[in-house]
Amino acid sequence: MMKKIYLIGNPNVGKSVVFSRLTGVQVMSSNYPGTTVEFTKGYLTLSDTKVEVVDLPGTYSLDPTSGAEEVAVSLLKEFSKEEIAVINIIDSTNLERNLLLTLQLIEEGFPVVICMNMCDDASHRGVHIDIAKLEELLKVPVISTCALTGVGIKLLTQRIKEVVSSPKGKQDHQQRWLEIGRIIEQVQRLEHRHHTFREIMEDASVRPVTGLLMAGGIIFTVFRIVRFIGEGIINRVTDPIFMNIYQPLLEKLSVHWQEKGFWFHLLIGDLINGKIDFKQSLGVLTTAPYIELGMVLPYVVSFYFILSLLEDIGYLPRLAVLLDNLLHRLGLHGYAVIPVLLGFGCNVPGILSTRVLESKRERFIAATIISIGVPCIPLQAMIFGLLGKFGGFYVGGVYLVLFSLVIILGTILNRTLTGYSPEFLLEIPPYRFPPLLMLWKKLYFRIRGFLVEATPVVLLGVCFINILLYFKLFDFVTAIFAPIIHGLFGLPKEAVVALAIGFLRKDVAVGMLMPLGLSANQLFIGATLLAISFPCVASFVVLAKELGFKGLVKSTLIMIGISIIVGALLHFTILR
Amino acid sequence: MKKISLVQIKANEKVRVLEILGGSNLENKLLSMGVYKGKPVVKLSHIGLQGPVVIKAGRSILALGHSVAEKIIIERE
Repeated sequence: MMKKIYLIGNPNVGKSVVFSRLTGVQVMSSNYPGTTVEFTKGYLTLSDTKVEVVDLPGTYSLDPTSGAEEVAVSLLKEFSKEEIAVINIIDSTNLERNLLLTLQLIEEGFPVVICMNMCDDASHRGVHIDIAKLEELLKVPVISTCALTGVGIKLLTQRIKEVVSSPKGKQDHQQRWLEIGRIIEQVQRLEHRHHTFREIMEDASVRPVTGLLMAGGIIFTVFRIVRFIGEGIINRVTDPIFMNIYQPLLEKLSVHWQEKGFWFHLLIGDLINGKIDFKQSLGVLTTAPYIELGMVLPYVVSFYFILSLLEDIGYLPRLAVLLDNLLHRLGLHGYAVIPVLLGFGCNVPGILSTRVLESKRERFIAATIISIGVPCIPLQAMIFGLLGKFGGFYVGGVYLVLFSLVIILGTILNRTLTGYSPEFLLEIPPYRFPPLLMLWKKLYFRIRGFLVEATPVVLLGVCFINILLYFKLFDFVTAIFAPIIHGLFGLPKEAVVALAIGFLRKDVAVGMLMPLGLSANQLFIGATLLAISFPCVASFVVLAKELGFKGLVKSTLIMIGISIIVGALLHFTILR
Repeated sequence: MKKISLVQIKANEKVRVLEILGGSNLENKLLSMGVYKGKPVVKLSHIGLQGPVVIKAGRSILALGHSVAEKIIIERE
């Protein structure tokens, strides 16, 4: 009786895409090793019985060398071999490297079926594999698939029932490579062809001069495009909807509202010059949806569109190679660019993906740097919205302060923390061009995630703030912290509320600064402080989960210390 | 004979792995990724003076941190 099906394979062979095809469960996939750091479960119906399917993190062999690999190997041994089936997914463009794991699985007696994935990409690159011959040599079922388009998946579900456990004599890796050499000679034929444009670009992006030029160009372009698309959506779509449709509707409603008491205050908020002002009214029906949908969502869409594109093409590991030098000085290595870039979207997935880093020390440094120096896209969107009108100088200033902080903090942590940072060893995937449909699916997945997680917090948050403000419950807290906020940071006492709300959600917190009538310099300090001080509650929870209690306390103290120092420094240098 | 590592050769040189220093942990890791004694590899690039080295082994492209590359001793064909 088959109880579980495991998907196992080298990193970046498309396990998650096969998983989605088999179970209908949508999971993230990207073109770099380590997208899946945790296992995912789903179900597949096989001759009328539901079988659990588990998508394991990628591993090169059954002797784990990293945390994610350990997860994969230990899960595989949970059930007896008679109760499971293992789908070994192989990247057809690189059969040789993938076969090591395959041989190990067969030797250990796992009931294996082999899924030769990315078959279309292989033939594009002139790699031809004799599937029948491979099946004959390995004595296990081999199926050629292309999970992106769905080719071969049906056959895979049929032949999975054929698997049997038949252990073989074990060999060591050196012997396995010899055997692999013999197998490759018999089943693989390489068509000799000239370098394609894609291969030339693949090469150029990891060479020192051309690589750095490309990286600079790409980062600059990405930043411009994110702003261009974000602003475009705001000016052409969301602002017209809010101003021309939603506002007149609300105003009609509020005219009939005779008594402007508690409910009016809660839902609509304050009228500015007798009118609703989405940026300043602070009501649950006015400012809350405007911040969330009118200011932040457009940037969430544009950022994730570009990030997903870069991920799927396979550019990020190349950026990791180029930045390895710099990141070494911070106690990290090149691959830390992946969690950092994800952190620019939202700190939560950024901190979670620090798991691709091996040592505890690196994970601590990366998670701390992300929560202090990497502003999430909702926060960035609000910074663009608020500071943008004073000129690019202020927006650039926030990034400059954060970037310097990351460099200084990383250098200090690297010099003072004990422990070691392991070496950089990373496989660089080829460039791939995913079908647009996959890209849209991923974008939809991420945007839905944002809306589902952010909407309730924003609405309840604004509701909560309004109740506190209405009954003047904040006055007590404000009175205590006002001297610090005013004396040290040069901000008015009302900013205390905004900074406190930063713990709930950063975008709402910046929104709270809007009605205060701050000067450009004050806004600059406020926004910078919000970026570096406490992460929002969601990132705080993952930080606790990933670093443990002690790590969390350490990280938090660093954060508080830095916020105070930076806030005071900025205040005395630019406000005085 | 003096030992030559991957950091000491020029880009585009075709060489063969002779020995991997630095203990069994690194050796096993490289072994599972397809870099082992006797394997022919091509050095593709070297970023900066102390930066990572990119090699091609079989059909895989691998980026090795500087100190990993230093531990891979090679022989010229």
